[in-house]
Amino acid sequence: MLPEIQYLSPTTVDEALNMLYENKNARILAGGTDLLIELKKLPINENVTLIDISKINELKYIEDEGDFISIGPLITHQELSRNEFIKKWFPFLSTACSSIGSPQIRSRGTIGGNICNGSPAADTPPVLVALDATVTLKNKDGERELLVSDFIIAPYKTERKPSELLTKIRLRKLIPGYGFSFIKLGRRNALAISRMNIAVAMLVKEGVIEDVRIACGSVFPTTMRVPAAENFLAGKKPSIELFKDVGEIVSNEMVRISGYRWSTPYKKPVISAMVKNSLVEAVGRRVI
Amino acid sequence: MGYVKVRFELNGRELELEVPSNITLVELLRERLNLTGTKKGCEIGECGACTVIMNGAPVNSCLVLAPQVDGSRITTIEGLSKNGKLDIIQKAFIEAGAVHCGFCTPGMVLSAKALLDKIPHPTIDEIKEAISGNLCRCTGYWQIIKAIQMASEML
Amino acid sequence: MSAWAVGKRTPRIDSIGKVTGKAIYADDIKLPGMLYGKVVRTKYPHAKILNIDISEAKRVKGVEAVLTAKDIPGVNRVGVAITKDQPIIADDKVRYMGDALAIIAAHDLRTAQFAASLIKVEYEVLPVIEDPEEALFEASVKIHDKGNLICHHKVRKGNIDAGFSEADIIVERKFETQMVEHSYIEPESAIAEPLDDGGVRVFGCMQNIYTSRRILAQVLNLPMNKVVCVQTTMGGSFGGKDDAMNILACRVALLALATGKPVKITYTRDESMIDSYKRHPYKMYYRVGLKNDGTITAAEIKIYANGGAYASMSEFVTWRSVVHATGPYRIPNVSTDIYAAYTNLNYTGAMRGFGSPQIALAYETLMDECAEKLGIHPYEIRKKNLLRTGDTTATGQVLDGKVSLNEVVDAVCEASDFINKYTEYKNNRARPGIRKRGIGLACSYRGVSLGAEGVDYGTCFLKLEEDGTLIISIGITDMGQGARTVQAQFAAEILGLTLDRISVLDINTSRAPDSGPTVASRGTLISGNAITNAAQKIRRNLELACEQLIGKTSSGFIFENNMIINPENGRAVSIKDAAAKAIKMRLPIHAEGFYPAPQTSWDEATGQGLAYFTYVYGANVAEVEVDMETGKVNVLKVWASHEVGKAVNPEGVEGQIYGGIAMGLGLGILEEFEFKNGVPQTTNFDEYLIPTSMDIPEIECRIVENPDPIGPFGAKSIGEPTNELAAPAILNAIFNATGKRISETPANLEVVLLGHKLKR
Repeated sequence: MLPEIQYLSPTTVDEALNMLYENKNARILAGGTDLLIELKKLPINENVTLIDISKINELKYIEDEGDFISIGPLITHQELSRNEFIKKWFPFLSTACSSIGSPQIRSRGTIGGNICNGSPAADTPPVLVALDATVTLKNKDGERELLVSDFIIAPYKTERKPSELLTKIRLRKLIPGYGFSFIKLGRRNALAISRMNIAVAMLVKEGVIEDVRIACGSVFPTTMRVPAAENFLAGKKPSIELFKDVGEIVSNEMVRISGYRWSTPYKKPVISAMVKNSLVEAVGRRVI
Repeated sequence: MGYVKVRFELNGRELELEVPSNITLVELLRERLNLTGTKKGCEIGECGACTVIMNGAPVNSCLVLAPQVDGSRITTIEGLSKNGKLDIIQKAFIEAGAVHCGFCTPGMVLSAKALLDKIPHPTIDEIKEAISGNLCRCTGYWQIIKAIQMASEML
Repeated sequence: MSAWAVGKRTPRIDSIGKVTGKAIYADDIKLPGMLYGKVVRTKYPHAKILNIDISEAKRVKGVEAVLTAKDIPGVNRVGVAITKDQPIIADDKVRYMGDALAIIAAHDLRTAQFAASLIKVEYEVLPVIEDPEEALFEASVKIHDKGNLICHHKVRKGNIDAGFSEADIIVERKFETQMVEHSYIEPESAIAEPLDDGGVRVFGCMQNIYTSRRILAQVLNLPMNKVVCVQTTMGGSFGGKDDAMNILACRVALLALATGKPVKITYTRDESMIDSYKRHPYKMYYRVGLKNDGTITAAEIKIYANGGAYASMSEFVTWRSVVHATGPYRIPNVSTDIYAAYTNLNYTGAMRGFGSPQIALAYETLMDECAEKLGIHPYEIRKKNLLRTGDTTATGQVLDGKVSLNEVVDAVCEASDFINKYTEYKNNRARPGIRKRGIGLACSYRGVSLGAEGVDYGTCFLKLEEDGTLIISIGITDMGQGARTVQAQFAAEILGLTLDRISVLDINTSRAPDSGPTVASRGTLISGNAITNAAQKIRRNLELACEQLIGKTSSGFIFENNMIINPENGRAVSIKDAAAKAIKMRLPIHAEGFYPAPQTSWDEATGQGLAYFTYVYGANVAEVEVDMETGKVNVLKVWASHEVGKAVNPEGVEGQIYGGIAMGLGLGILEEFEFKNGVPQTTNFDEYLIPTSMDIPEIECRIVENPDPIGPFGAKSIGEPTNELAAPAILNAIFNATGKRISETPANLEVVLLGHKLKR
């Protein structure tokens, strides 16, 4: 059962920003697939102000901006997984989006919501973090752009100020030749929360790794890249042995950063294997 | 408690009504509009029993805030049979033995409908994916998959 | 007998309401002036209740009643089996997190829920026991005054010491199974309405409405004729809507009688999971002796069943386990002990399989382990030991009916190429590779119906109408398994009616006679025999009418397609006209049917006796792919063969097989109802993981029919045997793939990779 709700429904970004300014404790409702579950856990006599941004058409877009693709926060997982631009430039984002929840969740859930919810097990952040994607936050006073990796600061905690609205997600196109992969490990084959997930983008030139980004979810307190692993790979020739070594590096980083937990005996060998496999897949799966 | 005025199309009919701001679509359908064919199974979007079609896509009506229906087109199980005639998906479900306890059936039928409207001749994998958000504890899913294949052949 | 309805693929007769959304489930009911109820539950799994203050809750506007245990007019200790120990509302103490402290009725649910938050309870917190072995320690805190032992059953056959001394090898293993939730998609719901005569009518998804009525009458202190239970369309049960629904029925009835108004309570999924009973977790210690050629000489078994907070069906569930604990094998020397103990977890009771899925996991994986140790193929070791017609079971029962084990085992092994694949995959173990295939076999035998648990009979009422339509009234219920369709098929077969002419009534305790509970896969056999009995009586009178209408015949009238034909002269008459004629002749065209099941026997002291009057036999082969790096198991295909006597509705039999395998897969690799210090952690479908459409394997069915002289048209049962084989077959397949023996379920990611569970 939901608590008491004061419902606001802006149709423009400006209107929404005014409402956010005036309602400091308001929650932002988009697809509702995370927020409504959370609200149902509140005491029923609590008062919540909801700003439903789902009618703001200017937040629904996927645009080719030359070097960048920008995505409106209200684009659903469904739309992202089927979009031709995304499939062409960031096929692993399509993969990640189509692995989320179920068809019903994908037709309501939005990329903006997936980022702002800040779940450590969310499926789009690894891809976005690997791509150094940015989010644009706007309030009445102006806007700022920051990396997704800087935006999500702790489990279920982001840099968003109460007055701010996420208005854009921007991804830099990678030059042709990059390989991509997204691997998710769930207990089930559908309706699965990621036990761990990983996104890799890698450029191999003349047999040598020129650039590589590895980002893992549910491995560190927040989704983040693993510089120790990336640096180790740079300039080396791809091989299974090399990828196995990198897997070890990532798993050691996990224990170093996240500490030894109940799940570590399982997660440690498995993230190591997932790193190896995602690197292998990235060698084979390149953007044209 | 706040009320919000909404206009939307429900099973082909324009509706205009005032809805409480703190109920979900499944509650609006079941409690206020007496359309009890939409079932409540988990209220967190995991079981799919409350699936309805919203603007052509299957959604969990337990995760749609009632005011959010404004401007949308909704189909519930009650809107599927026209003039007392069963939709071919409904017929196929009966024929294939896909109906056991029946509690997941309305949601399953609507997920199947949303699929066949987009992909009239799906593969088995596409069918499995389309109903992957609808839990069924009775059938082990195979008779449901068979029913959707049968409906696809009848299209 | 020429069958024209029995044995035909038949669409369910109750499907139309379900595909159109018109079928009425309990929560769909709204009565005028109806109030909404809420159950207030304990904050601690084990505590003494010192004081409950309801005064503030009572003062909330819109609240019409707040009741505690003190307001119960009759008994406040109920149960479905022997021990009656469960309160409708807790009085002296709470024993698990589902225990109720108060119940509230208000004008709307929001008000009821708000009032619930105002109830103040003082507790004296007690230590929590989660483990059944620990519960039986002398020093453990007593959950019930009588101590923590619910029951102990045993089986003694032959001489166990002599048996082990004959053995060349002895294999021992401990096996642990998890707590499993039924996961019917419809949560519990009931509505009670006060009646003019001081009685009460309860609508709801009670699985066994006659048990509900008996308990309601005791709790409300009302005579049985003033308590009416009406079963609404059931959104699944799997054994799970017995105790929990009886108690819910009492809770709504108490509120309805206290307020004089109809009251509805529908549990949320979280409430359902916290309140309802589950499948017993078992801790099993198996010790088996074998000769080098694979012959089993002795089995010694000790099992601890986690009964949770209340006895519920523990006495009967563990009895079924003790009877079947040695599996479908010929073992001359057996000693089995099973204990059920109270803990502070959810109480455990009936769930599809009823004490068999747990033991099948133990004896079937152990059988493969023995085969491996002896260097014998798993197929061969089973063939050597499988029970055959005329053999004696562990309980001393001679199986004089046809034993179909060899048939079902051969059927799945041939269809799956099990013998070759097993060897091939075993040889693959040592080779490199991330994804390994494996194949596993499991088989079982299973006693049909209640057996020596209780009195077993069925009764019904059939009413042919003057227009040639038929009404069936029977107490065996349809929870989604297709009982109504099968019941109509039996009547159709004998009376020559098409199914569109037959209605099976909704069940109401005041109208249909009691046929015992719809449990133990007894529905088809019991209701089929009762209906056959009644239909034959009506048929005889129609035949008398036909003799006058279309002449006598010595070769028997043919009843088919709503017509009755005299095969000797070719004359025919519609059933409608024959019915009209019979009425004119003052012959009744209605009849009561009765079927007393054959006697069974049991000697509790020795654990010997005729446990069940007949048995069914089944086998599964599962093929899996194991990701050796993550422990992820994908079940690729399951072959299932079941001997059912006669498949009355093959579509329905296959449906039971598919559903049983999916549920078995959940038991094997996915599902676990988890606790932390007695507090449930997996209370909705985001944490409690049942298989989705993308987790299920391809399934191939081989139905074997060896008609049973006891069954109607030879039919026995299918519901539960389908649910006890997939999990052990999958575990055996994982072993075949990996060489790692798994001895706990579920074989989830951690267990497959590390060999044991990780506890949070």
